[in-house]
Amino acid sequence: MSAVAHRAARPNGWWGMAIFVATEATLFGTLVGSYFFLRFSTPHWPPFGIRPPEIAVPLILTGVLVATSVLLQKALGSAREGRRSAAWLLILVAVVVQAGYFAMQIRLFENDLARFSPTGSAYGSIYFTLLGAHHAHVVLGILLEGWLLWRLAGGLNRYRLVALQSIVLYWHAVNVLALVVVGTQLSANA
Amino acid sequence: MAVGIELEPAGRQRAERLGRLWQARPGLLGWLTTVDHKRIGLLYFFTTLVFFAAGGVEALLIRTQLAQPNEKVVSPGTYDQLFTVHGVTMIFLFIIPMTIGAFGNYLVPLMIGARDMAFPRLNALSFWLFVGSGIFIYTGLFIGAGPDAGWFNYVPLADRTFSPGMAIDFYALGLIFNGIASTASALNFIVTIFKGRAPGMSLNRMPLFCFAMLAVSGALIFALPALTTDCVFLELDRKLGFHFFDTALGGSSLLWQHLFWLFGHPEVYIIVLPAFGIATSIIPTFAKRKMVAFPLVALAELLVAFIGFGVWAHHMFSTGLATTTLIFFAAASMMVVIPSTIQVFAWCFTVMMGRPQFKAPLLFIGGFIAFFVLGGLSGIMFAAIPFDQQVTDTYFVVAHFHFIIFGAAVFPVLGGMYYWFPKVTGRLYHERAAQVSFWLTFAGTALTFFPMHIVGLLGMTRRVYTYSSGLGFGIYNLLETVGSFVLAAGLLLILGNLVWSLRRGPQAGPDPFGGATLEWAIPSPPPEYNFAVIPTVTSAYPNWDLDDRHEDVRKLNRGEWVLDSGHETPASSVRDGVLAEILDMPSESPWPVTLAVCVAVVFTMLLTSHFYVAGLAGLAAAFALIAWHSQEPEEV
Repeated sequence: MSAVAHRAARPNGWWGMAIFVATEATLFGTLVGSYFFLRFSTPHWPPFGIRPPEIAVPLILTGVLVATSVLLQKALGSAREGRRSAAWLLILVAVVVQAGYFAMQIRLFENDLARFSPTGSAYGSIYFTLLGAHHAHVVLGILLEGWLLWRLAGGLNRYRLVALQSIVLYWHAVNVLALVVVGTQLSANA
Repeated sequence: MAVGIELEPAGRQRAERLGRLWQARPGLLGWLTTVDHKRIGLLYFFTTLVFFAAGGVEALLIRTQLAQPNEKVVSPGTYDQLFTVHGVTMIFLFIIPMTIGAFGNYLVPLMIGARDMAFPRLNALSFWLFVGSGIFIYTGLFIGAGPDAGWFNYVPLADRTFSPGMAIDFYALGLIFNGIASTASALNFIVTIFKGRAPGMSLNRMPLFCFAMLAVSGALIFALPALTTDCVFLELDRKLGFHFFDTALGGSSLLWQHLFWLFGHPEVYIIVLPAFGIATSIIPTFAKRKMVAFPLVALAELLVAFIGFGVWAHHMFSTGLATTTLIFFAAASMMVVIPSTIQVFAWCFTVMMGRPQFKAPLLFIGGFIAFFVLGGLSGIMFAAIPFDQQVTDTYFVVAHFHFIIFGAAVFPVLGGMYYWFPKVTGRLYHERAAQVSFWLTFAGTALTFFPMHIVGLLGMTRRVYTYSSGLGFGIYNLLETVGSFVLAAGLLLILGNLVWSLRRGPQAGPDPFGGATLEWAIPSPPPEYNFAVIPTVTSAYPNWDLDDRHEDVRKLNRGEWVLDSGHETPASSVRDGVLAEILDMPSESPWPVTLAVCVAVVFTMLLTSHFYVAGLAGLAAAFALIAWHSQEPEEV
C-alpha cells in the first residue's frame, strides 16, 4: 500500500455523508424550485397584506451560523493532530453559537406566524415550509454534535475521527443551504 | 475454487477459520438481526415476490373486469384502488426492491470481490424500512382505503376536497417511507461500488452490472427528493390546510405534476437500468465472448440515468405548457435514443459475434431486447408532440409502458432468476421447462400488451372501469385478458421450476455456465465470508483470467490476503481500486430492525394525526440510533 493512496482515499463514512448531503441538497433544490415556480405563477408575491421579510436580521444571523463552519473545520484539524480537548472545546463553542442562532430563529418564526399564516396563502405555505426544513437540519446538526461531544469525551479513535469528519461536512452543507434559503426568502423584496 | 490447483490442508484450515468468524446466528433471530448482504438479498427476494404476487392478482382482476363490455366483476371504486395499488406495488414494492434490493444486494459485493456492503447495518435498515412501507401501503387496501387516484396521484383529485378519507394519506406517507429505504440503499450501493472493490479493480475493470447499479443508485439519490417534497406538500395541504396545490390561494396544481415527473421519469430508467445490467451479465456468459464496446456500454448506462432528468415534461404535453418548453422536452426525449441504441447494438453484436448457447437466461434476454425495441419505438412516437396529445390517457400509453416496464424490465429479472439460481442454491434448474416457461411468458406478454396499442388508437381511455359494447374494443380486450392468464401461467411455471429444482436439481458446482465475473469464482452457495482470499483483479472478466484465480488458491495455501483476524474486508481508492485500508465490519445487530419499527410507528401516527405520539416515536428512533453507534469497530 502506498502512502499516497492512503492519504488520497477518503473513508467510507465520509463518502456516505457526501452522498447524503447530495440528496439533501437536491431536496432543498426542489423546495427552492417550488418557491420560484409558485412565485412566477402568481401576480403578487408576497400577496397583498403580507410584508416581505426583513433583510438585515436574517442576513446577520445567517452570517453568524456560517461562521461556525470555520470553528468546526478547526476542530477537525485539531482532532487530526490528536489534540482532543482543543477539538472538543471548538465543537462546544460551535454548538453554543448554533443553538443561539436556532433560539433567535424560533423567535423570528413566531413573529412571522403572528403576522401571516402558512394556511393563508401559497406564499405562506412555501415560506414556512422552507424555513422549517432549514431549522430541522440545524436541529439535526446540533444533535449530531451533542452525540459527538459525548463520544469524544471518552477519547479519540479512528471511528470518532471519521464521525467528526462527516459531521463537519454535514455542517458545511447546512451552512451553504442556509445561504440559499435566506437568499430565496429575501428575493421576495426584489 | 478454480480447477487445477490443489487446496492444501493449511489453506482449508484458513477457510474453516473464516467460516467460524463469519458464521451467522441461527434461527429467526439470526434473520432479524442479520447484516449479511446475501441473507438481506434473499429477504428482499422473497418479500418482493409476495408483493409481485399481490400486484399480479390485482392485474388479473383488472383484466377480468375488462374482458368484456359492461362487466361488473368489481365496482368502479374498487377498480380505482386496484389499478392504483397495482401500479404502486409493481414499481415501488416489486421491481425496484427486486432489482436493487435482491439482485443488487446479493450480487454487487460478490462481483466486486468484497465481503459485504460498505454499511451492512444500514443495508439491513433499508430492508426493514422497505417491508414496513409495503405493509403500510397494503394496510390501506385491506381496510378499504387503498390509494385510488392513480399511481401519479394528480391533484386536485388527490387533495382534501375530492379525496377525503385516508386513502391518499396511505399513498403519500407510504411513498415518503419507502423513499427513505430506497435512499439508504442507493447511498450504500454508491459507497460500496466506490470503495469496496477488490484490489486492482479500477473503474474500467468493473462489471457492467455494477455500472448499471451505480447509475441507478445515482438516479435514485437525485430523483427521490422530488417525490418526497411533493408528498410532503400534499400531506401539508391535506392535514394542515396549506395551499401548495390550491389555485385559489396562489398555489398550482401543475406544481404536483412537475415535481412528480421530475422524479417519475428518472424512475422509469431506474426501473429499466438494472435490467440492462443483468443483460450485460448474461450475454457474455452464453455468447462465450467479451462484451462488444464495453466502455461505450458503461458510459451509455450512466448517460441514460443522466438524460432521464431532462425529459420529465414529456409526461405533461397535454397540460397547456408553452410550445417552446414542449419542444425542448421533445428534443431531450429523442436524445435518450442514442445511449439506448448503443446498448441494443452492443448486446446484439455480442451475441452475433460469439458462439451463443440459447439457454433459458439468454432466451429471456432475447425477449427483453425484443420488447425493449418495440416499447422504445412506441416511446419515440410520444416525442412527436401532436401524436402524444392525441393518445394521452389512452391504452396506447399503457401498451408502451408495459412493454418497457414489464417486457424490458422484468424479463431480465426472470432470466436472472434462472441464471443465478445455481449460484444461490447450488443446484441447476430444469432447462427444458425453463425454455417452455420463456415461450409462455413471451407469448403471454405480447398477447396482453400488443392489442392495447390498437384499442388505444381506437380511442379506449385508461383508468375507466368498463366500456360500452359496439365500440369495437371487445375482441381486443378479450385477447388481452387471455394473454394475461397465459402470462400468469408462464410465471407460475418459473416458480414451479425453481421450487422443484431446489430439491431435485442436479448439483451445480461453482461455475456451471462459465461466467466471467467474480461470483462464479467461489463455491455455490457462497460461504458467509464470500471470498477466502481477497481476489486481485487484472481485467473486466476476472473469472476468465485463470492464472489470477489459480493464484488465489496458492495465496490461500500461503495465508496471504486471507484477512482472518476479525470481520475484515479491504477498502480501496475510488478510481483505481488501489488498496487503501483494511476495515473491521460490524456483525449482527438488533438496532436496524428496532429503528425500522420506530419509523413505522412515526408514519402510522402521522397518518392518524397523532403528532405528539409521532414525536415520541421519533425520540425512540434517536435512542435506537445512539445504541446502534455504540458498537465501534476494532482498530485494525
